[in-house]
Amino acid sequence: MSLSASDFAFVAGLVRRESAIVLAPGKEYLVEARLLPVARQAGAGSVADYLGTLQRRPDPAAHRSVVDALTTNETSWFRDREPFSALTDVVVPHLVGTRAAARSVRVWSAACSSGQEPYSLAITLQQALPAGWRYQIHATDISTEMIKRASAGEFSQVEVNRGLPVQLLVNHFTRSGTGWKVAPALRENVTFQQLNLTAPLPALASFDVIFLRNVLIYFDVETKRSVLRNICKLLRPDGWLFLGAAETTIGVDEGFERVAVGRTSAYRPRATVPAGTLGKG
Amino acid sequence: MTEQPTPTVDDLREIAEQVWAAYLDPEGVRPFLVGEPGEPGTAVSASVSLTGGWHGHVVVSCSSGAARHAAAAFLAMEAGEVSDEDMTDVMGELANIVGGNVKSMLPAATAVSLPHVVAGADNRFPTTRRICELSGTWLDEPFSISMWQGRGLAEVPAA
Amino acid sequence: MHAIVIDDSRAMRLILRRIVGQCGFEVLEAGDGRAALDLLGGLDTVPQLALVDWNMPNMDGLEFVAAAREDARLRDMTLVMVTTESEQSQIVRALAAGAHEYVIKPFTAEAMIDKLALLGLVPTGANT
Ligand SMILES: C[S@@+](CC[C@H](N)C(=O)[O-])C[C@H]1O[C@@H](n2cnc3c(N)ncnc32)[C@H](O)[C@@H]1O
Repeated sequence: MSLSASDFAFVAGLVRRESAIVLAPGKEYLVEARLLPVARQAGAGSVADYLGTLQRRPDPAAHRSVVDALTTNETSWFRDREPFSALTDVVVPHLVGTRAAARSVRVWSAACSSGQEPYSLAITLQQALPAGWRYQIHATDISTEMIKRASAGEFSQVEVNRGLPVQLLVNHFTRSGTGWKVAPALRENVTFQQLNLTAPLPALASFDVIFLRNVLIYFDVETKRSVLRNICKLLRPDGWLFLGAAETTIGVDEGFERVAVGRTSAYRPRATVPAGTLGKG
Repeated sequence: MTEQPTPTVDDLREIAEQVWAAYLDPEGVRPFLVGEPGEPGTAVSASVSLTGGWHGHVVVSCSSGAARHAAAAFLAMEAGEVSDEDMTDVMGELANIVGGNVKSMLPAATAVSLPHVVAGADNRFPTTRRICELSGTWLDEPFSISMWQGRGLAEVPAA
Repeated sequence: MHAIVIDDSRAMRLILRRIVGQCGFEVLEAGDGRAALDLLGGLDTVPQLALVDWNMPNMDGLEFVAAAREDARLRDMTLVMVTTESEQSQIVRALAAGAHEYVIKPFTAEAMIDKLALLGLVPTGANT
């Protein structure tokens, strides 16, 4: 039982159109395995049957399930740790100086997956901000399924094991069913919204810090560039952008400048880039 | 006496998902397909007994092919290298993990026994009734996880 | 670097041996807390890490952790509970007894390595 070339092309096209994620040939086994539960759920006998029906009768809800099943949602608490230490050690102290009038900080988790990133940010800010300060974390993802899960704030044993120090588990979560639920004191500072980074962005108030981590890697260079341009418009001119460990704006979008923060680096908008200038400014 | 909340088939499903994600299918490419009638093919049953705040048993059973695949996945071996002892130990550990997770949802004073593994279906629980079962196939082999509740404190736990 | 894996399940000891072995530890095994104390008592160098199950015959993991905290020779050993016990109150008990970290079964290999990174026993990002 193996996926035909035309079925694979159909799926790859769909995923690429809806999420800009590229599924290279050779991933047939992955497509087949990931779609099997989706096909069974829909009552189809096999993945081929399911895709056959879908090609004859397009169905936006089913398209979403296919895209969801094939996007990688891999994430963990305090992923790579250094960006979170940098917030505590460098970014928060700086913001406490520059945002003293408002006493509030706004952070965007722009590909939040199942929610570990925005709640890790919430724990970090809760601990690092002085008393009397408020913070809001806006968490978005293309996947409605991920947004639903993240906003429920419930995590399995397998998930809480990954990178969450046990003392923070005990302090900020309570047991619920077979897993754990995030405490209301954190949950109430986090908002969730379904959002496709590669489509025109909705109007959002600007942010002091943007986490755009481990999502650019899935896009081609043109898509990366346009995502970074759009994101930059939502970042305060003195704000910080954090990317994944394997990602950079360098050579993609010269509107950002890389700066060292703690033991990692972040990106800050350049003051102004003369029109037509690409490469080193 | 207040009715104790009893774990449901949805709870078993969530626990199973975690066990598969952690040990049997970390890549997410060999899922446990729930809902297909488990054909009569049970060759191995592993169980733990719960006593104290709640009385009953958690049973994991499957065909010998599935037990072999489970041991291979768990121990990172080839299916051909798996010994009978490997299968017994891994099935016992699966029952222990599922049982331990079920326990955490039950009244505080509940304790989990050491696992017990037998060949064939496990018929040692005459005074209990099955309260939920998650059955289906894994790698085209029958696989099931079930919970059996004792009729009350009078029940003498097996094993 | 040395680690000791204390669990009554041979299958679980094999999994843990494989994971911490990959992180460069030489691994000793014991089937319960009492056997672990006996084994540790006869060693010249104490392992840096102990992975400790909770429910075991003879001496359970909680008793082992408490005993290890009392023993000056074992003071520098990092204690990680690895167990299905996952009620909040149980975790708090284990931390109060002296456990440094806690991993709930089922766990993935990545989760175990992440915890070792949190404890500074393997480099951060050993996982990515
Ligand atoms: C690998 S996860 C990264 C999660 C988290 N930021 C982290 O670093 O751990 C990638 C996430 O990006 C989301 N994603 C993929 N394409 C997207 C798009 N076009 N717009 C928004 N989110 C997208 C996926 O749904 C997935 O949850």
